[in-house]
Amino acid sequence: MSTASILVSVASFVLGALLALLTIPVLVWLERRIASLVQDRLGPNRTNVFGFRLGGVVQSFADVVKLLLKEEYYPGHIKMGRWLFMLAPVITFSAALLAFMAIPFADTLQIDGEALRVQALPIDFGVLWYLAIGAIGVLGVIFGGWLSHNKYALLGAARAGSMVVSYELPLGLSILSFIITYNTIDFNAMVQWQSGTFFGFLPAWGILVQPLASIVLIVALFAETNRNPFTVAEGESEIVAGYMTEHTAMKFAMYFMGEYVAMNTASAVIITVIFGGYQIPWVSTEMMLENFSAFAVVMMVSVPVIVGLLIKWMRKNNTVRPTVSTDGGRNFETKVLTIALLSMTALIEVILLYLVFVADSALANSITVMLFQIVVFVVKLMMFNIFFILIRWTVPRFRYDQVQHLGWYYLLPLSLLNLFITAIIVVGVNP
Amino acid sequence: MLEVSIFAILALFMLGGSIAMITSKQTVFSAFGFLVTMIGLGGMFALLNSQFLAIAQIMVSVGAVVILSMLTILTVNAKEENLPKEPHKYKWIMFSILLVTPFTILLYKTLIILPDHFSTIGTINAKVVGKLLFSEWVLPFEILSILLLSAMVGAIVIARKKRKRPGKKERRA
Repeated sequence: MSTASILVSVASFVLGALLALLTIPVLVWLERRIASLVQDRLGPNRTNVFGFRLGGVVQSFADVVKLLLKEEYYPGHIKMGRWLFMLAPVITFSAALLAFMAIPFADTLQIDGEALRVQALPIDFGVLWYLAIGAIGVLGVIFGGWLSHNKYALLGAARAGSMVVSYELPLGLSILSFIITYNTIDFNAMVQWQSGTFFGFLPAWGILVQPLASIVLIVALFAETNRNPFTVAEGESEIVAGYMTEHTAMKFAMYFMGEYVAMNTASAVIITVIFGGYQIPWVSTEMMLENFSAFAVVMMVSVPVIVGLLIKWMRKNNTVRPTVSTDGGRNFETKVLTIALLSMTALIEVILLYLVFVADSALANSITVMLFQIVVFVVKLMMFNIFFILIRWTVPRFRYDQVQHLGWYYLLPLSLLNLFITAIIVVGVNP
Repeated sequence: MLEVSIFAILALFMLGGSIAMITSKQTVFSAFGFLVTMIGLGGMFALLNSQFLAIAQIMVSVGAVVILSMLTILTVNAKEENLPKEPHKYKWIMFSILLVTPFTILLYKTLIILPDHFSTIGTINAKVVGKLLFSEWVLPFEILSILLLSAMVGAIVIARKKRKRPGKKERRA
């Protein structure tokens, strides 16, 4: 193990952990803000630290403090198995967290002829890892629901379990048709396959190559992560809070955060398998490395434009109504953030100029491309998380029998049919 | 040394899990013991550098077996007082341990000489397993799938609602 490989593996592990954990407060905030915007109101935007609101993200930290300081209430009727009752949310949370670790954040880094994976867990069977570890998460739900000794919790746990059983099959079968198409079980190789073109001009993304399997995959992942319209396991209009009914304070928060981590993982899997992962369409990693100066010029032009638009949007929106006398430090915050964003842009420009005109090292170029790919990955990840949230606040919840009906009568036959067609086409094209 | 300590930890988990599975009265804790044992077994396979077997172990045993048995436990939802009384449980366990010990020693002696008779493959990944399954072991593989198919058909036949044949009186009516 060289120093470079140790550095890259530690850095990608830290990046994976941060991406999984730090997105939780952002996602909670996004959920509340988007729900508010869908319902024509503003949502949490008042909480601040020294005048810094960041659009309201600070609210999430207040939520965390609230959940930590809440009374740890313990239902008196739970006689045996308290330890498992406490452990159950941790199982759900850690399974979702571990499943995220197999996602590649950027293409393989070549240092001195050594191929280093930018992946928290450098494994080449990521699909199997996701399917295996992701399935453990529901066990926490079932254990917690059973040990609550409560009819609602029991119903919620039974619903979660049977939903996972019925949606694991279409999920596995649709992923199987992707495995046949891409001829790999490695997430990174899947992304590399998708950097080509399809029919000569379309990007070879999974959603264009395998539209049916993509739809089945997205629907099955919505059901696996217990998001609307499949929230039957915690349907509060029917069974109080489902499996979470008897869990309080941090135990509840673990389930709650586990749901967001699972949603994040599901978005990461969706973009990796069917939306080209960390790639932007038509441009592969080799192309960026070969034409590095063109890439740098495009970046030098586009970064200031994006940052300028962001600053304009912030100046327009981070204000109070003219009738309100004090602005509560909003102008100050806008000023500080503008300066920070502008200096960051200047730094990026200087670094890119240095790389193009002064330094001529392949290593620095590939690290720059890697950072760019990580940014693309995070942007795509957030877009899909927003998609998940928007679906939650636009589509009403299915009835339980409708969920089962959809899984067994439509998704399973569709994915089987798609698997059959895929196998025939793949064998027919490359005999 | 690292490998030995990982092995020791995994073995402790597996032993504890399997003992908990046998001795606990409430089925939920048995299921949890089984879960711990299976994850430990997956870890053992990973320690032997066969990643595919490790992941397949977790996928099949945890993702299918434990979840389905948990669904059964949820459906039955047995109360503490309805569980069967087992007064001589530990005596029976001791007796069966004594009964099985000679066979275990025999099995150990057989297994310990097995590696000399088989060629070892560096890493066992999905490709190696798939190629072996569809070349050398294709006949046992297909026979196993027929066995599973017949089990599935049997389950469907048992679960199907019995249609009453219309009796003579009904036919007249």
